[in-house]
Amino acid sequence: MKRILLACSSGMSTSLLVSKMKEAAADEGVEAEIWAVAQDKAFEDIKKADVLLIGPQMRFLKGKFAKVAEEAGIPLDVIDPVAYGRVDGKAVLNKALQLIGN
Amino acid sequence: MNKFMGVLENVLLPIADKLNNNRYLSALRDGFMVALPLIIFGSIFVVIANFPFLDKVISESAYAKYQDALGPASAATLSIMGLFVIVGIGYKLTQYYKVDAIYGGVVALASFLILTPQVVEKVSGVIPTASLGAQGMFLGIFTAFISSELYRLFVQKNWTIKMPPGVPDAVSRSFSALIPITLTLTIFLVVRILFSYTPYDTVQNFIYTIIQQPLTHLGSGLPATIIAVLLIQIFWFFGLHGQIIVNSVFDPIWYALNDDNLKAFQAGTELPHVITKQFIDSFLVGMGGSGMTLAVVFLIFLIGKSRQIKELGKLGGPAGIFNVNEPIIFGLPIIMNPLVLIPWLLAPVVVAIVTYIAMSTGLVPRPAGVIVPWTTPVVLNGFLATGNAWQGGVLQAINFVIVAVIWWPFLKILDKNYYEKEKYESNSKAS
Repeated sequence: MKRILLACSSGMSTSLLVSKMKEAAADEGVEAEIWAVAQDKAFEDIKKADVLLIGPQMRFLKGKFAKVAEEAGIPLDVIDPVAYGRVDGKAVLNKALQLIGN
Repeated sequence: MNKFMGVLENVLLPIADKLNNNRYLSALRDGFMVALPLIIFGSIFVVIANFPFLDKVISESAYAKYQDALGPASAATLSIMGLFVIVGIGYKLTQYYKVDAIYGGVVALASFLILTPQVVEKVSGVIPTASLGAQGMFLGIFTAFISSELYRLFVQKNWTIKMPPGVPDAVSRSFSALIPITLTLTIFLVVRILFSYTPYDTVQNFIYTIIQQPLTHLGSGLPATIIAVLLIQIFWFFGLHGQIIVNSVFDPIWYALNDDNLKAFQAGTELPHVITKQFIDSFLVGMGGSGMTLAVVFLIFLIGKSRQIKELGKLGGPAGIFNVNEPIIFGLPIIMNPLVLIPWLLAPVVVAIVTYIAMSTGLVPRPAGVIVPWTTPVVLNGFLATGNAWQGGVLQAINFVIVAVIWWPFLKILDKNYYEKEKYESNSKAS
């Protein structure tokens, strides 16, 4: 079971992406728990996740999250803006799996 | 152009980073987030209590009774929102220092109450509710910052009573908070006493006169609003969440202005301000999100020819109705796209000016001070924000057309570019 956490300003726009990622995961037969939260809640939820992806519009928070992610021992990255704009669930899912894999 | 934008991004990213990773501004923003559900609860009941045409349908006394019955809902939340913001800031800031956060919240609250006037028209033992709302907002914010800093400093200096092992954890925790709390609150009591010898009488009065009034006066003007709006748009142009960045500075001012209007609305007197939290949230964002992109989605369905644009319309349309527009911003794309920079910056400024004029001339009622959830769709949003006035909804519809007209030529060029590229690609594939 892969646990993928997405964070943006209020968890609204990334939740759009989450539903697409869930579809992609089902298609590819990947067992994954994927959820989106507002950025301030991500600090708690990070403990339950295997990877943290942040929305590109919140990329200025990367430094702040990097510390927390390091403490939790999980990888993090900023979602590619193009994939984000296209709500490309498959691309973002693959990116997440690749990060967990490393 | 690309080089110029690269340079500008290098300037903006650190600013966004500084503003958002600043622990005080983070605590301030999160503090408002704590208060928001309560504020919205109160707003809903203000809207219900002032249901349109109800005063004409039922008798005057029945209407007064109806309003009295619902009054406590907003009196206990929206009108004294300062209290919740203060607890939120105190909690979040002490949490940042990894100190028992709930004590940080209550210390901030108690410190604020110590500095608050406790006399109304010579009756002592009472606290004027006005000072717990917008009037006390700035004092509350400063007090929460300072009290949390003092409290965590005393805790981290370990000036606490140590309990022998075997004492239950909850008990020893309450004792360990005792000395830091006592020290912090004593400092605020001394400050209160010192201020009673000044012409300002209370700290609240001092902060209100020296800082809050000039700042809100500045913030209530059109120039400051246009600057704020342009900043939001510029940050977004570089793909940064402009709303969150700019709000962390402007929210105290916009909420304070909002509350002034709410008081006047409930008292049935003239509303003092045009620029309020809801002026920004309903009339500049509540139309598909920052940049009012629902009008762009509409244009896409109207004139879009290229597959890319049409796909985007289907993707971004449903979310746009509820003012979520990241698919449009990143998908059109708006970010770093010089072609759409002009309408992106121009449309919100024009709409801000039109809305400001419509409200200051009295054509459209001013925002009533209720907070409308930001996901409320356009027209309904404007109707609720102006205290159930149909003119508010109509104004939003007019603004919608304005944005669409400004965007029209630019979207057409963009669409044509995409269309020709698609045609070229499918032709070259076929051959």
